[in-house]
This record gives sequence, structure tokens and C-alpha cells, in this order.
Amino acid sequence: MSDTLNKLTAILNAKAPYSNTAGKDALDIALIFGSFEQPTSLFFQGDGVWQLMQGQDGAIISVKDYLKTFAAFEFYDLENIYICQESLTQRGLTAAFHIEQVKVLAKKEFAEKLASHHTVLRF
Amino acid sequence: MPTLHIVRQSAFNSDDFAQCLQVLRDNDVIAFIDDGCYNLHHQLINTINSEAGIQLNVIDKHAQARAITIDESLYTVINMNDLVNLTLTTSRVITWQ
Amino acid sequence: MKKLAVVVTTPPYSNLSVTALDYIETALKSGVELIGVFFYQYGVIHANQQAQIASDEFQCIDQWQALQETYKLPLHLCITAAEKRGLSDEEPNNIHPIFTVSGLGELVELVNKADRLVQF
Repeated sequence: MSDTLNKLTAILNAKAPYSNTAGKDALDIALIFGSFEQPTSLFFQGDGVWQLMQGQDGAIISVKDYLKTFAAFEFYDLENIYICQESLTQRGLTAAFHIEQVKVLAKKEFAEKLASHHTVLRF
Repeated sequence: MPTLHIVRQSAFNSDDFAQCLQVLRDNDVIAFIDDGCYNLHHQLINTINSEAGIQLNVIDKHAQARAITIDESLYTVINMNDLVNLTLTTSRVITWQ
Repeated sequence: MKKLAVVVTTPPYSNLSVTALDYIETALKSGVELIGVFFYQYGVIHANQQAQIASDEFQCIDQWQALQETYKLPLHLCITAAEKRGLSDEEPNNIHPIFTVSGLGELVELVNKADRLVQF
């Protein structure tokens, strides 16, 4: 059984984008999983929500702007992008993201959605 | 279909435990290991609803190494074998580190 | 019997890796089918033969070697993460021979084959 079924995978992003490599490391996994047609969802919680905020420009601080790659998610069949409403609220942020298909979920729905996945990787 | 949450960081130092609590569901299982043991002294621990059926486990030697006393009326004292079993008996594992 | 896979992201000089090793050894000793360990992020430093851990400190590499030899445990190294941290599988190769040079495609395999995946 376990060899035949593609396991639904969640990648939970918890770090802000620039001062460590977690966001990029998670993105690399997401793109590979997507290209292997592995059903994968992306979750953004805590400081991870900063990865989705509009108007950032990593180039100013010499970061190769991997966030721009998020625009390619749909080409990798990464269509389930979820963000935690409470994490936004805690940071005084509104739902203004640099990609379109982000679904904002209240805490309980975010938790339920995460728990509907077989495997969770957190970065 | 409970989730096992492996908490490895102190909430005095990182937001990980708070984020774990954000997604905690009734009947989930928490294992405090490594610096996660310090959370037994953090006020966040008191925000866990005692009626939600959350099982709280602490690895004995990780707590003991840190001079953390485990109140056995509140926590289940476990060893590494128990943690292995918990990963197999719950439905998924999230590591908060 | 349930199959288990482990991802290690912490370096050999961290006590967090001692916990990962303890977990893995305990699982193997109790007969759990552990299908592989995937080393990612700082976890790849475990494979660096040139890393010097003071002799009176915990030697992760000895433990990995013992587990690999005793249980034929596959140790997969993400080569992209490794190269970023100074490891190379070309001459002069500094990757410890117990590790298998892999990529993230291997992680997809592990996720699909394992009933549980645990990240350390």
C-alpha cells in the first residue's frame, strides 16, 4: 500500500525570507516535489508569512530573490498555498501578497488543513 | 487522527512552541524534547486547554539533564523508545525546531 | 510493519544531532523498518570528513558508521546542500564513504515509501 500511494505532503514555512536559508531550502523541496508530481501544499505561519508579502526587494540587500520563483508555483502544480490569518494579524499585516492563489485561513481551518496531510516538513 | 508535535525549542527563545499551539487539535500529542523541556517553565504551557485531551510527554533524560523537574500529575515521563512508538501510533509528525 | 524515514537538518556539533542518533538507534534496535536517513541543510556537515570534533566530544560520525554497518542503513546526502557547505564528490572527495550522494528526488522517494517521516 505505502509504495503505491503518493503521500500528500505539506511544507510548512516558518522563517522570514532573508536572514537564513530556510525559505529557499523549503522552496527547493517544493519545486522538486512538484516536478515529481508529488501532491504538495505550502503553508505559511509565524514569520514565514513574510515570504508572501508584497513589495519586497531582496536585491537591495544582495539576496538572489528566490521569492520571485513563487510566481511559477502553478507550473509545478503547486496550487494549494495556505497562510495563517492569526500570524498576519499578530504582525499587523493585511492580505496583500506577491502571488495570487494564496488562501488565508483562520487558525482552526489552518490547523485542520495541515492535519489533512500525510507528511509535514517544516522549515 | 492525532498529530505528534515534537517540540525542541524553548519558547523563551523562539516562536516555535507558540506556533505549535496555533495548530494544536483536540487529542493531539506533544513531546517535549531537547530545549523543548524548558517550556515546562513557560506560561504558554498553561494556555493548553486541559479538556482538549492533549497528551503531554517529556523525555526524562532531556529534562533531567537540564534540571527540569517533571510534575508527573501533569506530564507523562517517556524515554526514546516511547518517542519512537509515538511516531508510529500517531498519524503524522511535526517537528518544531 | 510501518516504515519510517528520517530527515536530519542539524550539524554534528549540535546536541540536537545526538538526539536524532539516539532516536534512530532506538528505532533500529526495536526492529522498526527505517528505510533511510536524508541529510539536508546543516545536516550535510555530518558527511564532511574534514570536520574536526574535539576528541572528548560526542563523535556523531562513529555512530553513523556503526548504524550504517550494523543495519545497512541508507544515509542519503543532499549534494546541493552539501556543495554549498564545502563538500564535494569530485577530487579531492571529502565526503565520508558511508554516505550516498543523492538529491531531493530521493526525499520524494522516502516520503512516498515511508508511513512516517520524522524531521530532526
